[in-house]
Amino acid sequence: MKILLVEDNEMNRDMLVRRLSRAGYIVESTTNGKAALEQMSLNRPDVVLMDMNLPIMDGWTACREAMKDSRLKTIPIVALTAHAMERDRQAALEAGCVDYATKPIDFPELLSKIKQVSEK
Amino acid sequence: MNSFDPTSLLSLLELLKCEYNVFEHELSEASKKDFSGIWRVGEYLRDLTSSENSKKDDHEIMNLLSALHGYIEILSEEFELENSAATEIMTKITTVINLTAERKMEVGSIKSEQEKLTKEYSTETQLNQLAGQILAVDDREENLVLMQRQLKTNGLQVVTASNGKEALKLLSDLEIDVVLLDLLMPVMNGMEVLQKIKGNARFRAISVIMISGQQDIAEIIKCIEAGADDYLFKPFNPVLLRARIKAGIDRKRWHDREETYRKQLELSERFIRTTFGRYLSDDIVSQILEAPEGLELGGDLREVTILMSDIRGFTKLTETLPPAKVVKLLNRYLEAMSDIVMEHDGTIDEFLGDAILAVFGAPRSNSDDADRAVRCAIKMQLAMKDVNQKNASDNLPMVKTGIAINTGSVIAGNIGSERRSKYGFVGYPMNVTSRIEDKTRGGEILVSDSTKKNLRDRYGMFSSREIKVKGLTKPLLVHSISWDTKRSRK
Repeated sequence: MKILLVEDNEMNRDMLVRRLSRAGYIVESTTNGKAALEQMSLNRPDVVLMDMNLPIMDGWTACREAMKDSRLKTIPIVALTAHAMERDRQAALEAGCVDYATKPIDFPELLSKIKQVSEK
Repeated sequence: MNSFDPTSLLSLLELLKCEYNVFEHELSEASKKDFSGIWRVGEYLRDLTSSENSKKDDHEIMNLLSALHGYIEILSEEFELENSAATEIMTKITTVINLTAERKMEVGSIKSEQEKLTKEYSTETQLNQLAGQILAVDDREENLVLMQRQLKTNGLQVVTASNGKEALKLLSDLEIDVVLLDLLMPVMNGMEVLQKIKGNARFRAISVIMISGQQDIAEIIKCIEAGADDYLFKPFNPVLLRARIKAGIDRKRWHDREETYRKQLELSERFIRTTFGRYLSDDIVSQILEAPEGLELGGDLREVTILMSDIRGFTKLTETLPPAKVVKLLNRYLEAMSDIVMEHDGTIDEFLGDAILAVFGAPRSNSDDADRAVRCAIKMQLAMKDVNQKNASDNLPMVKTGIAINTGSVIAGNIGSERRSKYGFVGYPMNVTSRIEDKTRGGEILVSDSTKKNLRDRYGMFSSREIKVKGLTKPLLVHSISWDTKRSRK
């Protein structure tokens, strides 16, 4: 199963890539919303994990863009919100994310969310 | 809003590094990589503290913490660290991260709560909710009509006056929140009206907004010095007018609310005084009101002198007398006796039927606690004559009281639950007093030896005797104090 991780923070990205790979996923990563959309259409990942505060194109916009695209809107996007703020999470869901995880990431919970959304 | 301080995390990382150097050679390549991730996060965190200019936003911080959290989790999942010190440090780091995240979560939810509230109460709705009464004062009819029209659309009630005299009349007749006052008016100008408003205690809280032309700024400054709350230049912008009025109404409402609180406070203080006043003397009530923290539950051990009195054979009396008479007799007796206890700065712990339990030396102790108790007892016995005279004229039976006094250490404090507590006393000396009381004859004052030792003044001791007290193996030495001057002279 392929996961696309969109995260601009180098350390967080590195850590998550390593953890997810060890959990048995094929992980690709990118650092902004625009690149994420390109990757989504090119590699067609099963699940996208996306930080919302991204450079060039933020996560919310990328998510809305994906929802407009009939080919991309079937790929589930899970938002990773740095701020543990209700508002950010709400905005992520409104933009079309299927679920969210707050940082610091509870990894077992993230794994179960990935499993859940990929099975739908 | 940036409450995050990485210092504790940095020192934990420093410690972890020391341990790491010890076991580094045992680690697999993958684990070494994970550790190097941790050190990198540490470097970034250090950058955050050292350089002022670095971006220190929440997003960045949470990313770093999240990465650190993740690396530590990987390490603790994937291999058993032999080094328990390192494990402990890592657990601590995780705890610090979780606490920081929780705090951010709280701050975040408070923020969004506030945002929600601000959204719900836009200026417009708030203005409607406040719906205050406005008085507009201007000598020119067309100005008044204009203001009235502008404000009415906002749901505000507007009354108008064309001169100062009229304005003052309306102020005393109506409940006005805000006055819009034109500066230049014939007969009584705006400044004079303002002085009349601010000089009157009843009107002082009303917000006054001065209205003038821009050229009159010097006069406006004088008005503000004289107590005007705000000002507006003509021709005024309706939005600005609304905003100023809203602020004025708010101010007035604040004042009104404060006034209500003050009144409530006064009421509750009066209530406390009358309620507690039945049991405690005035200065003790004042002491409690001034230092309410002293009312916390809890207690302290202190030496007090305990006085207990009751009417001999009262239970038998209640069997023969109609209830109304019993209550009359009892109230007359208790009222006379409690007045005397208060006079002597005693604290009445309880009325138990006809018995009075009073304590001297709490909440405040004095060197003459024992003396005051004895003087109080003597006065109580003397007052019985008056009580009995009144009883006789009401066709009530004569009664005699016995008083026991004992000194010892008791626990004093607010005893009970949060819901219901009273300043009370517990301790063995309380029980001993009650036992002595059992042995007291009508018209007698019995003082325990411990009280006698505390007395500074001399009193005519009648006689000493030993009594057997339940629970005590040794008999107790008590002294009967003479109080009837006639009898003691004999």
